[in-house]
Amino acid sequence: MTARLGPVARGRAVGLAATAEAALIALTACTSGSGPSTSGGSDHADTVSYALPAGVVPNWILPISTPGHTNSNNYSIQNLLWEPLIAYNGSSGSGKIQFDPKASVASSYTFSPDGTSVTITLNDMKWSDGEPVTSRDVEFWFNLVTANKTKWARYRPGAMPDDVSSFTTVDDHTFTLTFDKVYNQNWLLSDNQLNEITPLPYHAWAKTSADATVDTSADLDRTTAGAQAIFSYLNEQAMDVSSYSSNPLWKVVDGPYTLSQFTTTGQVTFVKNAHYDGKDPASIGTVKLLPFTTVDAEENAVRAKEVDYGYIAPTDVSQKSTFTRLGYQIEPWKGWAITYIPYNFNNPTLGAAFKQLYVRQAVQRSIDQKNIAGVIWNGAATPTYGPIPQGTPNDFISSTQKTNPYPYDPSAAKKLLTSHGWSIGSDGIAACAQPGTADDQCGAGVAAGTTLSMTLVSQSGSTVTDNMMSTIKSSLAKAGIGLTVKDVPANEVLAQTPKCTPDDAACSWQLSFFGTAGSWYFPAYPTGDQLFYSGGPTNFGSYADSQVDSLIEQSSSSTSNEPIQQYSAALTKQLPVIWLPNPDYQVSAVSTGLKGVTQDPLSRFHPQRWSW
Amino acid sequence: MSTVVESQFEPRALVAPSPGRVMLRRFLRNRVAIAGAVVIILAVVFSFAGPLLWHTDQTHTDLTAANLAPSARHPLGTDAVGFDELGRLMVGGRTSLLIGLSAGILATVIGTVWGSVAGYAGGWVEAVMMRIVDAGIAIPALFILLVIAAIAQPNTAGLVLILGLVSWLVPSRLMRAETLSLKHSDYIQTLRAIGGSHARAIVHHIVPNSVSTIVVAVTFQIADSILLVAYVSYLGLGVKSPDTDWGGMLSQGLSQAYNGRWWLIVPAGLVIILVVCAFNAIGDGLRDSFEVGGRR
Repeated sequence: MTARLGPVARGRAVGLAATAEAALIALTACTSGSGPSTSGGSDHADTVSYALPAGVVPNWILPISTPGHTNSNNYSIQNLLWEPLIAYNGSSGSGKIQFDPKASVASSYTFSPDGTSVTITLNDMKWSDGEPVTSRDVEFWFNLVTANKTKWARYRPGAMPDDVSSFTTVDDHTFTLTFDKVYNQNWLLSDNQLNEITPLPYHAWAKTSADATVDTSADLDRTTAGAQAIFSYLNEQAMDVSSYSSNPLWKVVDGPYTLSQFTTTGQVTFVKNAHYDGKDPASIGTVKLLPFTTVDAEENAVRAKEVDYGYIAPTDVSQKSTFTRLGYQIEPWKGWAITYIPYNFNNPTLGAAFKQLYVRQAVQRSIDQKNIAGVIWNGAATPTYGPIPQGTPNDFISSTQKTNPYPYDPSAAKKLLTSHGWSIGSDGIAACAQPGTADDQCGAGVAAGTTLSMTLVSQSGSTVTDNMMSTIKSSLAKAGIGLTVKDVPANEVLAQTPKCTPDDAACSWQLSFFGTAGSWYFPAYPTGDQLFYSGGPTNFGSYADSQVDSLIEQSSSSTSNEPIQQYSAALTKQLPVIWLPNPDYQVSAVSTGLKGVTQDPLSRFHPQRWSW
Repeated sequence: MSTVVESQFEPRALVAPSPGRVMLRRFLRNRVAIAGAVVIILAVVFSFAGPLLWHTDQTHTDLTAANLAPSARHPLGTDAVGFDELGRLMVGGRTSLLIGLSAGILATVIGTVWGSVAGYAGGWVEAVMMRIVDAGIAIPALFILLVIAAIAQPNTAGLVLILGLVSWLVPSRLMRAETLSLKHSDYIQTLRAIGGSHARAIVHHIVPNSVSTIVVAVTFQIADSILLVAYVSYLGLGVKSPDTDWGGMLSQGLSQAYNGRWWLIVPAGLVIILVVCAFNAIGDGLRDSFEVGGRR
């Protein structure tokens, strides 16, 4: 009998060990989090470690992003390797987003008196292989984007590169861009137009295979076919994340750092670019980016002083003194951002329902932004009722957005549904009982029996996000709206919720959330042309409204703020997405010895400015 | 004096008690096992009858009552979205016990069928079936669970199925060993000689005669399943809010550990420990009882 029970006994031993583990977890609650008073993070003076947001893994190196590779950490990494032509960021620490000449390849820019062109002069810089950075390198970027614009994640019809009618090289360090009409210069400089241009090493990248030799006199990129072939090759190389640190392509840089490690799990290490001759040199020799699957795991690393620049959960701000004793400064990192849940208007099941404004109003009236921001985010989020960031005073926001036309009221939400032909079933979920287009019917395309039971693909890894979703699910249920939440990592959310047409297999998603650290970080000028313009590159839900398109176009060409304020009011009322409180990018824990840290509202990091 | 002598030779004193009675008596004398049984009964009553006495809303969140410390109104406080923690413990217990019991029984049933068929058939059939078991045991159950849970968001029924399907391997080995010893017994040989089918031999003779092994195995399987549920939920892949289970509660509460909100962690942790230990104690008690029964 004893021998026969061996495996059971072994199983029991495992069970008891696990029980002891559970006991340890339980006892953790009774322990204090304080520790000795020493500086946090790395002991190496020439190394700094930076914690990436939970669940976020950098996955794109080529400075021409393609859809699905647009997380802001990718841009930060790219800018450390390849300096942008015109850096427009919030690295000054003042909270303002402005031209950053130190981080730019351009030394100056001058608009023509009539506003139809801009002449840009480059700094005298060299690539890491000793070749000079020239106007040809800027043209190379422009040619690649022009020939492959529909593959570029930033492309919107009418904007860059469509708004540039000609590229004229004046000399090796000067060129002129001529526009198809007069635009708002702030928009040109700061809204994914000139600030998106990144000089690329033409002499090293203008080829179509790894074995090919670049013939600089061939001007391959000046033909559409040639530029497409080059882009195809570069894109293919960029897809192979595991080869980033060894691929010779990515070794030719003009930024303050070069890459020494880049794993598919998100571990990234930079070392100082010994050949850098720009105006923004690195101080610290090695920068390590560390990935984490959950905020809790990252916070434990902070407690163990394994990171120099990390973050804590918003719910733990009350423990500020504990982290201070550990050698960290705790500072919220405010973002120039909005947070939202896109509806998929092309979803075959619920797309027609989402197109009904009263349905979107019912959903929005079920979101208790004030309490979600105050209780769940512990004050580290700002209620936001429209498309303009509300955490920072600005001239772009409308009074309509400030005053919130759809305050939290689940009863009113339920009434909106029942007054439009929906009846609440025995399961508490509304179903369309009166199809049709009359005022008291469900609306165009909504079939009889359609149930308002929605599925949300949500970012995993954050207890705060989980709690927010629980609360939203609960309040939606009060209005008769069902919600099922499916958690996946952030990159997977973006992959699973693409722009689509109703016939696409990938169009089965209904709602998408990727905003634990804010959904969308704007450039300085927050027109939202990427998000809400018909066919916009990150208009995931395929929202389309001609009036909104017109306002976006006006805001990019007018020198007045009136069009953008009207746009703010229109989208506040139209609810193209579910507006949510916008959380701080993170509550940072920065080692007290680390100097030069500024928290860029664009969520970019600038480690070349840090020092011990 | 004579009376005493007569009473010593009463006929009924010569009748040996049945094995079942001996086992029951032995089990009842095992204080640890009895304590385990009491804990399980209390846990079941607490989880299933508790909500009848302690009325709380475990469906709708209430942010105005979030993160409250224990008080008369909320004896175990409230969680981050305002759920009463005592009521939550009851709801979580229902899920944990239901999944644990169901998955444990399912695993034992599958293991019993698999092991008895393999042991009875012998030859290449047994070799193939048991190599499958060996291969399955070589893959950590937690790894399989995480992969499955990452692919599909499981509900309660799904979790029962998944846990049952990854936990049957050990019971199948036990049952195969038991079958090997029973299939050569006289009554099986006699059954075959008079034309009894293989299925009849397994279903009506081998399985019933292996009940001691099966019962002991099922108790340990239940304990293991409850722990597995806790593991999966602790990793954030368990049932979704407003449903919960004890592991999920532990997971949610752990982020509050450093904020001093012990009530979000300690009660859930303790009930997991108590219930798992209790099932193990019952299993030990049953094993000891059956061993004595067998010797008698």
